[in-house]
Amino acid sequence: MSEENFKLSRRRFLQAGAVGTMLSAGYSASAIAQSDTPHLSDYQPEYFTAAEWDFIVAATDRLIPADGEGPGALDAHVPIFIDRQLVGSFGQAADWYMEGPHDPNAPAALGYQSPLTPAEAYRAGIAELNTWCKENHGAVFAELEKETKDAVLTSLEKGDIELADTKGANLFDLLLQNTKEGYFADPMYGGNHEMAAWNHIGFPGARASFREWVGIEKPYPLGPVDISGKRG
Amino acid sequence: MKKFVKFLAALAVVGLVVIGLIIFLPVSRTAPQTNVAGDYTTTNGHGEYAMRMGDCMACHTADGGKPFAGGRPIESPFGTIWSTNITPDPEHGIGNYSLDDFRASLYDGIEPDGTRLYPAMPYENYRKLSEEDIRAMYDYFMHDVEPVNEAPPKTDLGFPFNQRWGIRVWNWLALSDAGHEDLYDDTVLNRGAYLVDSLGHCAACHSPRSTIFAQAGKNAEDDRYLAGGVIAGWPAPSLHGPQSAPAKWSHDDLAAYLWTGRNSHSAVAGEMTQVVGDSLQYATDEDMNAIVTYLRHINGRGEDKTTLDASSSNEPTETEKLLASADPSMPLGARLYLDNCNACHFVNGKGAPEVFPSLDGNALVVADTAGGLLDVMLHGARMPSTEKRPARLAMPGFGDRLSDEEAAELATFVRQGWSNDANAVSAEDVAAARSKSSGTHH
Repeated sequence: MSEENFKLSRRRFLQAGAVGTMLSAGYSASAIAQSDTPHLSDYQPEYFTAAEWDFIVAATDRLIPADGEGPGALDAHVPIFIDRQLVGSFGQAADWYMEGPHDPNAPAALGYQSPLTPAEAYRAGIAELNTWCKENHGAVFAELEKETKDAVLTSLEKGDIELADTKGANLFDLLLQNTKEGYFADPMYGGNHEMAAWNHIGFPGARASFREWVGIEKPYPLGPVDISGKRG
Repeated sequence: MKKFVKFLAALAVVGLVVIGLIIFLPVSRTAPQTNVAGDYTTTNGHGEYAMRMGDCMACHTADGGKPFAGGRPIESPFGTIWSTNITPDPEHGIGNYSLDDFRASLYDGIEPDGTRLYPAMPYENYRKLSEEDIRAMYDYFMHDVEPVNEAPPKTDLGFPFNQRWGIRVWNWLALSDAGHEDLYDDTVLNRGAYLVDSLGHCAACHSPRSTIFAQAGKNAEDDRYLAGGVIAGWPAPSLHGPQSAPAKWSHDDLAAYLWTGRNSHSAVAGEMTQVVGDSLQYATDEDMNAIVTYLRHINGRGEDKTTLDASSSNEPTETEKLLASADPSMPLGARLYLDNCNACHFVNGKGAPEVFPSLDGNALVVADTAGGLLDVMLHGARMPSTEKRPARLAMPGFGDRLSDEEAAELATFVRQGWSNDANAVSAEDVAAARSKSSGTHH
């Protein structure tokens, strides 16, 4: 199957899933997921400072923009997911080997090489990148034009902007990885708000099994269910 | 008026005399029911085996407590009864009991000082024990059990149930003759009946209760015998009648259930989990054969050893078709089944042998009392570990995933799905089951 065919059929699949989801939303709207997480604009970050929060909101919004096919990173509350992860065991590298030696040039297979925890790497990286943006574009990242933001992120991804303060941690890789995770993880972690991402791709969620549908060449009709049992 | 006062006074005097008689009439203890030679000695292991079959441990050992030191709370309609210390400790246990004292507690429910035991101690059943088993257990408790110098909490029921002399009246009304009568012309059936009626004390849970809370039906000639009961909100299913498991299951399936807590139809939950884990798994091949043969015999299934299963048709039911359609317009109960249950119990509701119990035709699912089903749905369940099947396979609780209304919809759906036809469950039923702390899985 050519890549184009795959894309086409994938899109068709997504559309069919979305129709099924809309149908399923019809019968018991009152019991359908009502999120108890605050709206993004009301959220008080636990880890990020106000300036850092502005950066995270602006950057994740460019990685998964709202004007694409599905919900954007902000619709899915990805910044809330990242903030919560950074105060948790991931952000503190609680179960990682963090002793030296730290060799930034080590092969990727040797794992994370920075002496900074992910939370520290975010903090140092955001500060340095905002400084770079001010020096080169006259404003911090969050205040730049859309096209400039995209150019900065592209340069960061390609390594054209080199951040020294993260001491070997790759801010762009962390950010992209955590954005994807926040988009698709169970809503219990703060992202994937109201299962928006699952609805978009037609993923049935934590239903554990639908083996009676194996071999049936139709999209699975029911919308997703999350770990807490809410229906999306 | 004066006459009336006199009448009342006379009534009071008569009442006091009656109460006095009940309290002070000399206590008589039931004598041994079989003559056993004076130099009778029990064979090695007999006492421990009888203790296992009698399942003394289930009640007389607390969760995490020392063996037989008591302290397990037993819920009764009248309040919490705490099991006693039956280790040979002279102060808090039964170390000073003579054989006659020991027999009196099993036959008559009387402690050496005359204190009457609450019938939570199943002396209604133990009074059918053979003298050989009593002697063997006495020997076991006196010599093989480690004494524990600890006092379990005292049972403190409210008035009038704290007036233990009243139990004497109940005993007069409720108890049948001591000793076990062989009713059959067949040693296997007689052994099975003996194990079921005396040591196994199955009727303590599996019999309905009469108006005075005595076990209804003394033997298989009575339809009420082992016809199902309710214990602490859980149904103890009927073992007697066309819908009962012994009437439907094959000989081997019934034996597997009693030995390992699982078979090709079902899995144990609730109190029966302990009965299998602490008691029945130790039954010898001969005794298990006797129990199963007897239970099937009283249901007219003595001759063939196969399964009678009304729901064994391979035609998909309406319930199965609805679930398999994943139709978004399906009722909430069906949708909740797909979201929560389907991964293990499947659209046909049949689960998988020895792993996931079938919900179609499951006695716990369709019981008149939904408390057991709701307890398992909300709090989960765990099979016992036995030598034949060590794995403690478990179902997680779904209490966090389901609101009271959702759990009621779901419970009603499984009670009425496939070939099931039980009444609906309300959100209030669920709330009651949720607030009850589940003391049955450990």
